[in-house]
Amino acid sequence: MIPCIESGIPGFDELTRSDSGTGGIPENSSTLIYGPSKTGKSIFNYQFTYQGLSHEEQCLYITTDQSLKQLEGNMFDFQIPIEKYIADKTLYVIDTTSDISQGMQTKTETIVSSHINNPTDIMVKVGSGVKYICKNNQRFRSVLDSTTTLLAYNDSMMILRVLKAYLMRVNEAGGTPIITYTENSADSMIETMLKSMVDNIIKLDGKTLTVEAMKSIGKRSSKYQITKQGIIL
Amino acid sequence: MIKTIESGIPGFDELTLSEITEGGIPEKSTTLIYGPPKTGKSIFCNQFTYHGLLNLEPCLYVTTDYGLKQVQNNMMEFQWFIQNYIQNQSLYIIDGISKLSGKKIEDTTNIKSSFVRNPSDMMVKIGIGTRFVYKKSNHFRSTLDSLNTLFIFNPPQMVTRVLNAYLRRITEAGGTCIIAYTEGIINPDTETMLKSLFDNTIKLDGQNIQIKSHFEEEEEVTNYRSTYKITDKGIVVKKV
Repeated sequence: MIPCIESGIPGFDELTRSDSGTGGIPENSSTLIYGPSKTGKSIFNYQFTYQGLSHEEQCLYITTDQSLKQLEGNMFDFQIPIEKYIADKTLYVIDTTSDISQGMQTKTETIVSSHINNPTDIMVKVGSGVKYICKNNQRFRSVLDSTTTLLAYNDSMMILRVLKAYLMRVNEAGGTPIITYTENSADSMIETMLKSMVDNIIKLDGKTLTVEAMKSIGKRSSKYQITKQGIIL
Repeated sequence: MIKTIESGIPGFDELTLSEITEGGIPEKSTTLIYGPPKTGKSIFCNQFTYHGLLNLEPCLYVTTDYGLKQVQNNMMEFQWFIQNYIQNQSLYIIDGISKLSGKKIEDTTNIKSSFVRNPSDMMVKIGIGTRFVYKKSNHFRSTLDSLNTLFIFNPPQMVTRVLNAYLRRITEAGGTCIIAYTEGIINPDTETMLKSLFDNTIKLDGQNIQIKSHFEEEEEVTNYRSTYKITDKGIVVKKV
């Protein structure tokens, strides 16, 4: 029996149910969410994060496209009360969108900034973040949105190494990480490498969600829609 | 008649039966198992390893994608319990990646930590491991899962150098090895050259299994084809 955690996306856990798993995302496994742009990948992440936070699971959120403010706004649009979780320190955000020329943003214990073109610093912040979350010794979730931006600003091989380190660290600490990627945004070798680094692969193409790979289940797919409450299968 | 060892994959040995071979993996040969991501290559390697252990064939297991703990978990999913074999030292593990997770691995007689970023160290550990396993039995197996992380951390030429040294070490000591690799992560020319280093190649594409064997006595390459499934007992090849 493979322990799974609830995805937070209505219909997803039912889609992935099997004889060996209750459905959802297998705990402690890594997942790649990919597809063309604007297909709901970030929304999947919001719902996944919120599912954890609303059930006392902390979340380590690394954002590369949206600043903390934008993230707050977007999550709010889907009725996710993110301020609550920032306040009670269960949501740990590493905001890599901060401009070097800008001053230090409001930093707290659980809101830290880094820079998109300093992956070494991002990894250091990830290490601290994992350590902080681990103190509570419970299962936690992690989101890195998105690898595409990291790859655009840095040497690809370096980013692959950073991603491998990120996935290993979160896995070792008992977390369940998700990384996102916009299809065809990097060359095919990098894309293939990304797919080979994770346990589960989920594709969102705008109409259909396809579980291309997941521990103990074969390929499955379902139509989905993006509604005011987020993604629904 | 070419001597072979049991693959441990149901249907595989029957598929590869021929006039010149008993079916299975030719003894002392080198095999590359490759294909797109997530097609069962690691599972195949683990199945091969575990079957050898059951047959009292020790194994030198080099893991570069998954840390030791993950390897154990991956194996457990198919009810392949390796703790006993670690304890009786018939499984010798070189963990080349756990360092990246910040975890400290306690080295023991048959569990060694190394780092994919340091291929020379990996080769030293592989040398020591080969000698250890050979002393236990000159019918031993070796698994390298996989070349992927080695390619992430090192230039391709370095990886091929390490690979060549590894293959030579194992075959000189009389072992039979399988190496896993995800197709499409390096440039096509290097990839073609990589495949040519091996006696046998097995391609898993998600549905089909294709085996190409280059036997010494034969000039031509022998081809076998079938379909396969991943079940809760591991990979099962369809009997043709």
